[in-house]
Amino acid sequence: MKKFLKWAGISLGLLFIVGFFAFLYFIPPFTLAPPEEFINAEKVAAPSTENISDPAKRAIAERGKYLVQTIGCTGCHTPGGDKGPKFDTEFLAGGAKFTDPVYGTSISRNLTPDPTTGLARRSDEQVKRTLRSGVFAENGRVFDPTFMPWADFSNLTEEDRHAIVTYIRTLKPVKHAIPDFKRESEAPYNSFFGADYGIHEGSGK
Amino acid sequence: MNRILVRTLAAIALLGLGGFFLRGISSSGLNSAPLPDASSGNLSLGKSIYDARCSMCHGTDGKSSGIAASFLNPRPRDLTSGQYKFRSTESGSIPTDEDIERTVREGLHATAMPDWKDFIKGDSLSAVVAYAKSFSPRFQNEQPKPVTIGSMVPATQASIESGKKVFDKLQCYTCHGTDGAGKEAVASDLIDDWGREIAATNLTEPWTFRGGSAPRDIYLRFRTGIDGTPMPSFVGSASDKEMWDLANYVVYIGRKPVWEMTASEVAQHYAGIDAQWKANPVARGKYLVRSLGCGDCHTPYNENGTQMEQFHMAGGLNWTLGPYGKTTSANLTSDKATGLGNYSDDEIKRAMTRGIRRDGTRMIPFPMPWTSYANLSDDDIHAVITYLRTLPPVYNKIPGREPLNFFSYLWGKFKMLILKEDFPGSALPGNAGTTREKSSASLSAGKEAQQ
Repeated sequence: MKKFLKWAGISLGLLFIVGFFAFLYFIPPFTLAPPEEFINAEKVAAPSTENISDPAKRAIAERGKYLVQTIGCTGCHTPGGDKGPKFDTEFLAGGAKFTDPVYGTSISRNLTPDPTTGLARRSDEQVKRTLRSGVFAENGRVFDPTFMPWADFSNLTEEDRHAIVTYIRTLKPVKHAIPDFKRESEAPYNSFFGADYGIHEGSGK
Repeated sequence: MNRILVRTLAAIALLGLGGFFLRGISSSGLNSAPLPDASSGNLSLGKSIYDARCSMCHGTDGKSSGIAASFLNPRPRDLTSGQYKFRSTESGSIPTDEDIERTVREGLHATAMPDWKDFIKGDSLSAVVAYAKSFSPRFQNEQPKPVTIGSMVPATQASIESGKKVFDKLQCYTCHGTDGAGKEAVASDLIDDWGREIAATNLTEPWTFRGGSAPRDIYLRFRTGIDGTPMPSFVGSASDKEMWDLANYVVYIGRKPVWEMTASEVAQHYAGIDAQWKANPVARGKYLVRSLGCGDCHTPYNENGTQMEQFHMAGGLNWTLGPYGKTTSANLTSDKATGLGNYSDDEIKRAMTRGIRRDGTRMIPFPMPWTSYANLSDDDIHAVITYLRTLPPVYNKIPGREPLNFFSYLWGKFKMLILKEDFPGSALPGNAGTTREKSSASLSAGKEAQQ
């Protein structure tokens, strides 16, 4: 009887362990969901510009919306939750952490026009300067173009940068204080979002 | 040895005399070229500011070698050349200190060079300028030759009309177009002295004039030329009055920026831009590829953080993506064997906007942001693909994805789902951040390949 109990216990334990691993293994990787599911979540999240009363401003903001959606602001500036990025409540409210064992942590900023924690604290010129030159308005620090790709955005026309600023000024303000990021090393971050340097063959021509 | 010493002393004495002489001129108005301050204290202050604020683009060696440099158009100035674009000195001359100070203070409009006036002032400004000058021996060996500016011509109707004639006489339309905005411009593939492409300024958009849009700023560009670019000085071919007339004409043809337009003007303006882009998908595609930042991930990096320009867009960055194994950015050049050469437009579009590779496998939404690119209009996708097809082929064989072994896969999933960490990309379900895992194996592989 005792022997039976012992064996039952062992097999139950084994079954549990195997079951747990099977559970882990068979939880479908989310690439099984159709791409449209991801695309739509981001598409519907961007607030419409319909409520802007000034028609000129509305047209410019519409342009800005297109740029914000395509250029990838949402990818880093919308914090993630248990069920995906919080597009519905914290669209562009910042707070996504990017951790690097060497260079430390950086946290995306709050882009909503909140007067105490968001971009309402900054003038249009300051926001445009950050998009163009990576200069933080509060201290003049230049941040790494591989954390926030301002060097790419410097290629936008001034009018397109203006459109982006016009649009993000119309977002719903979210109070979301972002702690300053900590850099462990001042060395340049020689990669992009956690990639290794890069591998290649041949001499390039 | 003695001769060198004597020469050095003589040079210093000359510099001092020259500075004194120039200071005399400056009191009469236009240019101030204070005595070169070579005190080491000043230079070390300048270096500390430079390293913190400027080196990201201009490089710690001043050779335009910062990690941001390869993304920027136009490129940051190579300070070792001593060649400056925006000056108040004769063509080919070094600039005055005030010229460089002005550029640092005001920035260069519509480029990545910001206005530093809020952050670098007073002694710091002169120190950082002194340090920037120390990169080029020209500042020790030469004196700036400030131009004399004739009296300003008021912007009367007559002056503007004669400015139009000067525009035709000097053949400004060759590069800037008959309307100043590139219409029927003959010279389109302009390059600067460093072999980089450079676009002729759109003269109808004064807010993009790098060195300012006041008549005097514009006049100075004609008077001094823009060194290192195809824009010459017109001092031999036009009179002082003609250059002022031309400046008045350029101010006159300037259009309103979009932020000053009325609703109907905005609509008309955007319709015009859209038509223009549609007619020239390569230009639109280049604009999008640059500003969307495709090159961030699709061009590999040197160990010091700069991009490998000979591998421009040839892919090869690799990520370890939690349980999803290793993935490597694709070669986007038109190479037939390893790049997009044999891809159909639909295959590129499907990868860009739905994250489905050519072999039908799926990408997660990180690091390739296909969920964002899904919002691109069909015209823009077509433009991007058209532009990518113009990239010169670069042979760079990208290894296939490396799925993890069974146990690493389980461990990765455990970390991702139970410990809630190590999930690649923030914009994904259940994730608060990304963790970078630097595998020493691929690091050393990268190093070897570079040698």
